[in-house]
This record gives sequence, structure tokens and C-alpha cells, in this order.
Amino acid sequence: VSIQLDYVLAMKRVVTVLFVTILAVAGFFYTQSISAADTDFLIYFENSTLALKSQTIERTTYLPLLEIIRHLGLPYTDATNVMTFSIQGQNSRLALTTGSAFISVSDQPILLQNPIRRDNDQWLVPLDFLSQGLSKVAGFEFRYKPGNHRIFAGKVTPAELAMNAQSLGPTTRLTLRLGSAIDVELDKDAGQRRAVLMLRGKPIDPARERLDYKDSLVQSISFDDSGGQPRLVVAYTDDVRDIRVTAAEENRVYFVDFIHDAVSEASLAATAASTSQPAAAAAAAARSNVRPNGLRVIVIDAGHGGIDNGATNSSTLEKDLTLILARRLRAALQSRMGATVILTRESDVKMTSEARAAVANNNQAGLFISLHIGYSPNKAAPGSSIYIMKPNFTGGTPEPAGGRLFFPWYMAYRMSLQTSQAAAAQLQRNLNQALPGWKFPIRTGPIGVLASSTMPAVAIEIGNLNNDVAVKTLSDAEFQTKLASTIAAGIEQFAVSSAGGRPQ
Amino acid sequence: MTARRRIPRHIKIGLITLGILFAITLGMFVDVVGHIQSMVGDKEVEENPFTPAAAPLHSPTDPPMQVKVFFPGTQEDVILSAEDQTIYRSAELANRARQILVKLLEGPKNPELHPSIPKDTKLQEVFIDDVGTAYVDFSNPISANHPGGLQNEQATVYSIVNSLTYNLPEIRLVKILVGGAESETLAGHCLLIPLEMDLSITDIAPPQQEQVKPHAN
Repeated sequence: VSIQLDYVLAMKRVVTVLFVTILAVAGFFYTQSISAADTDFLIYFENSTLALKSQTIERTTYLPLLEIIRHLGLPYTDATNVMTFSIQGQNSRLALTTGSAFISVSDQPILLQNPIRRDNDQWLVPLDFLSQGLSKVAGFEFRYKPGNHRIFAGKVTPAELAMNAQSLGPTTRLTLRLGSAIDVELDKDAGQRRAVLMLRGKPIDPARERLDYKDSLVQSISFDDSGGQPRLVVAYTDDVRDIRVTAAEENRVYFVDFIHDAVSEASLAATAASTSQPAAAAAAAARSNVRPNGLRVIVIDAGHGGIDNGATNSSTLEKDLTLILARRLRAALQSRMGATVILTRESDVKMTSEARAAVANNNQAGLFISLHIGYSPNKAAPGSSIYIMKPNFTGGTPEPAGGRLFFPWYMAYRMSLQTSQAAAAQLQRNLNQALPGWKFPIRTGPIGVLASSTMPAVAIEIGNLNNDVAVKTLSDAEFQTKLASTIAAGIEQFAVSSAGGRPQ
Repeated sequence: MTARRRIPRHIKIGLITLGILFAITLGMFVDVVGHIQSMVGDKEVEENPFTPAAAPLHSPTDPPMQVKVFFPGTQEDVILSAEDQTIYRSAELANRARQILVKLLEGPKNPELHPSIPKDTKLQEVFIDDVGTAYVDFSNPISANHPGGLQNEQATVYSIVNSLTYNLPEIRLVKILVGGAESETLAGHCLLIPLEMDLSITDIAPPQQEQVKPHAN
């Protein structure tokens, strides 16, 4: 009997615990779906910044009106008995009524997308009230990008910020690209393992609030201006010994290097000496004592990845072959030239063409090589080619207005079309010589990855996956090594010739 | 033994409650999975279910017109070979473009050449604007069933671009749409922006007189 009682008691307890857990989980989801968390909104005025608590009601973001009006110092009357609010501008008058989407500016009615609200004695206005109504009495514009918590008023021109992080072996490099010159100040909190980068001088308009990047040195990178002062917060790990900030391009580009414990003093000195060159490249050069040449950073793109298999032949997938080849090519280049070699992807992930080119652009690569495997409906076709960007592939493309953060994708390749050609010619010589029977004609086309690369960029397409013999050859490790070393030799010769032709 | 086997009532109730809660949780999970699946499914643009009755692309009185349709060839140096085909000079430019694209979808007559567009691809719409850009909308298989390969994708794209621009000088640029929407590329290589004719990858000597010829016919 006592055994049975124990059993019953135990079951009771289990049931209770489970019940409570399920209730708690259900409650959690329930509350989440009802009230979205209030977020901090920032309005950047010319000389001041106003932080506001926004409220999300019926999927519309509302801001407290009174705080904005008081900050602007505009005279107002709040007639609670008739539920209207009016604001007096210099030569116009704005009136609004609770529950109505109509507002009147100097007796002209304007329809907003959402009604004005008055909840808990607080006037709440939807975001389009600022641009549709308030701008008329305040005398300046409000600019707002949907999905973001920043409003820029009047003549305030924020600096755009784009971030990219990349592991360069012993260091992790965070690259900041800014639309205009900004001062960056590093504030290190070694105890908390937190680096705070203060961005001073201008409001910042980040392309993304946080960077989804994590490695053995850096744990998270996020932008924060909730206090009115734009800053980047980077959480790093115990392995980081030093953090270096290097400015380039007249304070429009910053490199923030998180340096691993194991990096030697000599290579750090080399880094300090060559400010504009990536730290790891200098470190690698110091280690292997290779003569410096024109190419310090080479980015290799393994074509396709993730759900994009590329060309296939039964179980042989282009995305796998390109990744293997990219790794072999990296090894060949490192041992041959001592250059820093970065792959656009290290694993089986999908990337857009622009993201691939961005890896090369952000690391200031001297050469960008995209690896692909060919496929031809004709089984007997050799399938190989070397591609460079096709100049003027589209008619009458308008030239963009100046002052962009990035080169528009259809322009970037123009910077180095001739050097791309030279690189392709050199690779063609090496490949045709080392692989008799394989032909590598140079072709041009509107290739996505090449279009947005600012440096010499070449796509190499190797073999024909529709040919079973070629599939076997391409899967052979010995052939892969030979191919990689042939391409590496071509790159080295290109580097030497381009360094000779151009003063360093 | 019998007393042991019989389960007490409150445990029975507990077990039933657990079972119900489990079923609810399972239901919620299935619901969430369904949501995710439908979100993924939404990305694929459905083909227009309201297909209008196929209007004839030319009238019986339209005179025949010789065109060159481009297909991937077997020669090594050129990516595309031209094949002579006959369409009818319909009054509407878009209908002439449609006829050429239908020939392209049907594939080459010459067994040495290869079809350039994956099987099951349908031509959905052709629209030509005032400045000579043709918007050509194919169904999803043109991208989903494309076997890949940089040169092969270039062959597909330019078989469409060249076949239209070469035969119809009014068309200056061709913008390819996939399943009614813009797509960055077909198979991950070639940008699908408005493209102009490129005869350097074909076995046809370029320039002017050739471009005028179809007009003179």
C-alpha cells in the first residue's frame, strides 16, 4: 500500500508541475501577442535630441504629442472638455481631435492613415502626423525610415553606417563604413568584456541595428543610440588581448581589430606601421617573411551554397566542389605568397552576389576570385571559361549622383576592368599550360558577383558537370590540388606584374 | 496484483488532462509549422489562375517573316548559334515577340543544337514599354529547373535577349522576369537587369545591316 501511495503522490506532483509549466508557457505567449514592448524613439533635431517612449496600439506606432510640442516650444491649447488640441505655429494653426484621423492645418483638412488617440490623459499621434501635420507648423521636415526608431528633423543629415565583421585568423576585424567623416572613440571595459565605440559628431543612420556575427573573439555587435549618443557595443571573449582602432579614408572608414592573445609583438608592430593594411595580412607577412607584393588580401568566393546547389550531377554538387577548391586554393596561396586569404563562405550557406562582393570590398581585397563549376547541355563540351565583367551590358544606364556610401553595383566593376582583364589573361596562360586538353577561353558577361566588386575580379568556371568523366576528375583530390596550385601560381604572377607596374 | 493494476481515479484524471494538454500543444505546434510552411510557400509566386483564352498571336492575313532564333550550339568558341525560323508579321509588336519566344520554348529544329530554356517553362506575359524595353515574364521553372552553370545560364539569358533584339529592332533592352516578379539571377550568376543584344557570343557577324534586314523582308 505504501508503494502505491508513493506512486500516487509522485504522479500528483508530476502532474502539478507539468500543469503549471504549461500554464506559464501559454501565459508567456499570450502576453507577448497582446502588448508589444514599448520602444524608445529618438527625434534628432539640429541642436538637440529628444527620446520618446512610443506605444504600439493596433499595430500602429504612436508617439506622445505633448513631449514633442514642449520640446519644440510651440504654444498650444489642450481643450480637454471638447477633446481637441491645437498648436500655434508662426503663421499656421494645427488642430486635432481625439478619435479622428482628420487634422486641420490653418483650416485645411488633412487625412492621416491612423486616428489621433487620447489614452490615459495623454495625446498620442501616429508617425505620419509628424510629416503630414507637425512639419507644417514647425516649419521643417521630419524624415523617417519605416521599421526604424529614428526620426531626423529639419536640416539634420545623418551619417549612414554600414558594418561588416570578418575573421582574419588571429584577429577579428570589424569594418565601419560611414557616409561622412565621424570621430570614433574606443571605450574599453575589460572587466565586462565590452568595447564601446562612441561615434561622435553627427547622428548616425545605421543600415542594420546589429550584426549577426559571432566567432571565438567577438560575441555580439550592436548599435545603440537609445541614450541620444550613437555608439557601437561589442561584447568580446577572454581570448582578446588588445583592441585597435584604425581610421582610413579621412575618418570615413574605421577598422576595429580584436587581437587574439597568441599574436606576437612583432606582427603587432607591423600592424601599427602599416595603418591602412589589414592587421592579419601584415602579421602573415611578418611570419613567413615573404617579399611584399601588390596583393595583401585575396578573397576567394566558393560559388553557390545553402539551398542553392548550383549545377549537379547525381550526388556531386557544384556548391561542395567550389568550397573544397576554395579551401585548397587558400592553402596554396598562403604557402606560396603568405597573403591573407579570406573565403566568402566557410560552410554550406546561401549568400547573395552582393554579399559575396561585399566581403571582398570590406576587406579591401586586391583580387577577388569566384570559383564555379560549369554545366553544359552538351555532354561533350569542355565547359570551362574565365569570366570577367562585361562592360556596358545595359544601354543608357544613368550615372548616379555623387556621395553614395557604396558604389552602385553596376558601377563598381568599372574601377578595375583593365586589371581584371590582366588577371584573367594571366590565369588563362597558367591554366591552359598546366591542363592540356582543358580550354579556358576568356568571356564576358553580366555576372552578379563581379559587378559589385571594386577590385580586379575574375570568375573561373571549371569543367562540365554534365560529363561523367569530368565529374570524376573534378572530385579527385590530386586534380583539385593541381588546379589550386595552378590558379595560385597565376595569382602570384599577376601580383608580381601588377606590383611592378604600379608604384607602391 | 489486481489492486495494483487498477489505476486510481485521480491519476486517471491527471493522465487524461495531460493527454489533452499534450494534444493542444501538438496542435499549436502543427499550427506554427503550418504558418512557417505557408510563409515559405508564399514566396513562390503562383501562376495566374485566370488564364485568358489564348488569343491568336497572328491573323491569317499576316505575311511570313524570317527570324533568327538563338540556341546553345556545339561549337566551342560560340555560346549561341542562330537558327532560321518563320513567324508571321503580326500588327502588334508584342505578338511578334511572343511568336519568337514560343519558337525559343519549342526548342531547335537542328538536332545539333540544344534547347536553351528548361522544360515546363511557360511564357506568361510580354510587355514592351515606350523606350524599347521588353519585359518578358516566364513561369518559375525557368529558374527552378535551370541546370546551372555560368556559361549555360548566360546562354539561356542571351538566347532570349538576342532572339528578341536581333529580329525586332524596336526592342532595345530585354528584362527577364521569373514567375511575375523580379529576380536577381536565374541560377546564381547572370544579373537579370535590362540587357542589350550581345552578338559577340554568337556565330552571327554583328552590326547594322543585319539588324535592318528583318525590316526589309
